[in-house]
Amino acid sequence: MPRLRGWGWPVLCGVIVLMLVLPLVVRSSFAIDIFIRVLLFAFIGTAWNLLGGYAKQLSLGHVAFFGLGAYTSTLLQIDFGISPWIGMVAGGVVGMLASLPIGWLCFRLRGPYFTIATIATAQVLMLIFLKFRDFAWGAEGTTIPNLGHAPLMMQFETKIPYYYIVLGLLSVALIVTASIERTRMGYYLVALGEDEDAAEAVGVNVPRIKRDIYMVSSFLTALAGTFYTQYIYFIDPQTAFNFNVSIEAALVSIVGGIGTLWGPVIGTVLLETTSALLQSWLGSSVGGVQLTIYALILMAVILWRPTGIMGYLIEVYGRRLRSNPAEA
Amino acid sequence: MLETVAQAVINGLLIGGIYALVSIGVTLIFGVVKIVNFAQGEFVMIGMYISFFLFTQFGIDPIVSLLVLMPVLFFVGVLVQHLLIRRVLGLNDLPQIFLTFALSLLILNLALMLLTANYRTVHTWYSDEAFHIGGLYIPVAKLIAFILAMVLSGILWVFLHTTDLGKAMRAASQNRDVAQLMGINPNRVFAVALGIALALAGAAGSLLMPFYPAYPLVGQVFVLMAFVAVVLGTLGNVIGALIASLLMGVAESLGIQFIGADSGLIVVFLLLLTTLAVRPSGLAGGWRR
Repeated sequence: MPRLRGWGWPVLCGVIVLMLVLPLVVRSSFAIDIFIRVLLFAFIGTAWNLLGGYAKQLSLGHVAFFGLGAYTSTLLQIDFGISPWIGMVAGGVVGMLASLPIGWLCFRLRGPYFTIATIATAQVLMLIFLKFRDFAWGAEGTTIPNLGHAPLMMQFETKIPYYYIVLGLLSVALIVTASIERTRMGYYLVALGEDEDAAEAVGVNVPRIKRDIYMVSSFLTALAGTFYTQYIYFIDPQTAFNFNVSIEAALVSIVGGIGTLWGPVIGTVLLETTSALLQSWLGSSVGGVQLTIYALILMAVILWRPTGIMGYLIEVYGRRLRSNPAEA
Repeated sequence: MLETVAQAVINGLLIGGIYALVSIGVTLIFGVVKIVNFAQGEFVMIGMYISFFLFTQFGIDPIVSLLVLMPVLFFVGVLVQHLLIRRVLGLNDLPQIFLTFALSLLILNLALMLLTANYRTVHTWYSDEAFHIGGLYIPVAKLIAFILAMVLSGILWVFLHTTDLGKAMRAASQNRDVAQLMGINPNRVFAVALGIALALAGAAGSLLMPFYPAYPLVGQVFVLMAFVAVVLGTLGNVIGALIASLLMGVAESLGIQFIGADSGLIVVFLLLLTTLAVRPSGLAGGWRR
């Protein structure tokens, strides 16, 4: 990822200002709901991208951390009256700690079998929460007590504050990603993503780098779980550990451009916009439409543009630079 | 007590036979083509629906429909190889994993759209029949499914060990480059591997139909089992996958019997995770590039 230069900073500032004023201009709560979904999945995708994109450890079990974050903050809130703001950080820590044993197990496998092992761990967690009703409400789940307007408990009467919270989360994830890109760790990550054995041979401590990036990635993913539960006021194992979250986290990154800072954001905007348009056109009654379209887009990207949209843009930009060196 | 255990073991073995058909397909594709087919379960689902429609439209028994289904799915497998998988061979993990994963998502959600999420069942004359031996209860439909699954696995084993094409497939799975130097056409071998694997998945679907409902998500149950079996039974090893599938059927059934109705899957996943923790190299050691 090249450093920003030329038009980079003005464009970035423009995007920031646009995102800040967006909910003040667009007042429709339906539209704001879509923006929140886009920002949320861009956030989860960015968190996934750290592990899946840079280190190329293709997890399909990230919902494990999403669910752990969601359950941690909800348990703290309902059983102990602790604010979800604190619960969110606690959830992040729980997710981060959970990544240690999960990573210890799953990193023993490579390629597709790593992917399968991550699916299995997320499924085990869901089954555990389904089974043990004394611990956390079992299959029925629970609603979050509605306190009306209670900013300290992360509850608001309009959707706009949620928009700013998730925008903040996404910004944090992007800043974390951008900073990691520039450190030694970032180069190690790219090296091990390219070729694990070669990276190890030149002295990269591969197991440690994998463990560290998994911790960062799962911490961030767990924050999303708390946010989502607070936003929909409901939690049960099927929503908190929904496989579709794992799928979408990976999908937005791959479509947008794996291992790039802005890939997951661009991917989410494309996929969620397509899905929102489809749903307003077909109505939400027909099941499976959204994922059918996602699957087709994913196949098309893999077969024709494996580097995703960002990869394509970089390629086009590079070609223009070569044909007109004066611009650089 | 002993009888309960024996009954649970029998139930497990019977369903394990079906798991075996699915896992043998996964392990065959992995062994020969070196990719994991995430869509294998969806072909079980397709098999179930084809068998369901043949039964309701033409009254064809699910067992007889194997004769139609297996050639059709073999052809589908050849097409999948030529149109999709061939294009990502030799690339890195990402396209290889996510291509078949996308295929699985696509088939599953198309099924949800076109066939709805309703459960479809087929009721044959033997669906409710059972043998009673001592205090043990053996449903006829499951027994037929188990026997045919073992027969099909046996035929595959004979094919792999006696025919030229079978030997070529085994050679390609051991060392693709050398096999190619010996004049084996990899594309042909890959297409046959995909064809056989999908035909077995379809057969599993058809054999399930007399006692198991068809619904779009049904393949997920079987594919997860297959993945675990394939890891347990050493990747790419047909006999290993067969034995591991039977063991997992038993483990699942014992879990259901002694821990609770929804615990079968937990037991199987814990088996996988424990194996990974304790003996990753012994059982998954083949997976080192």
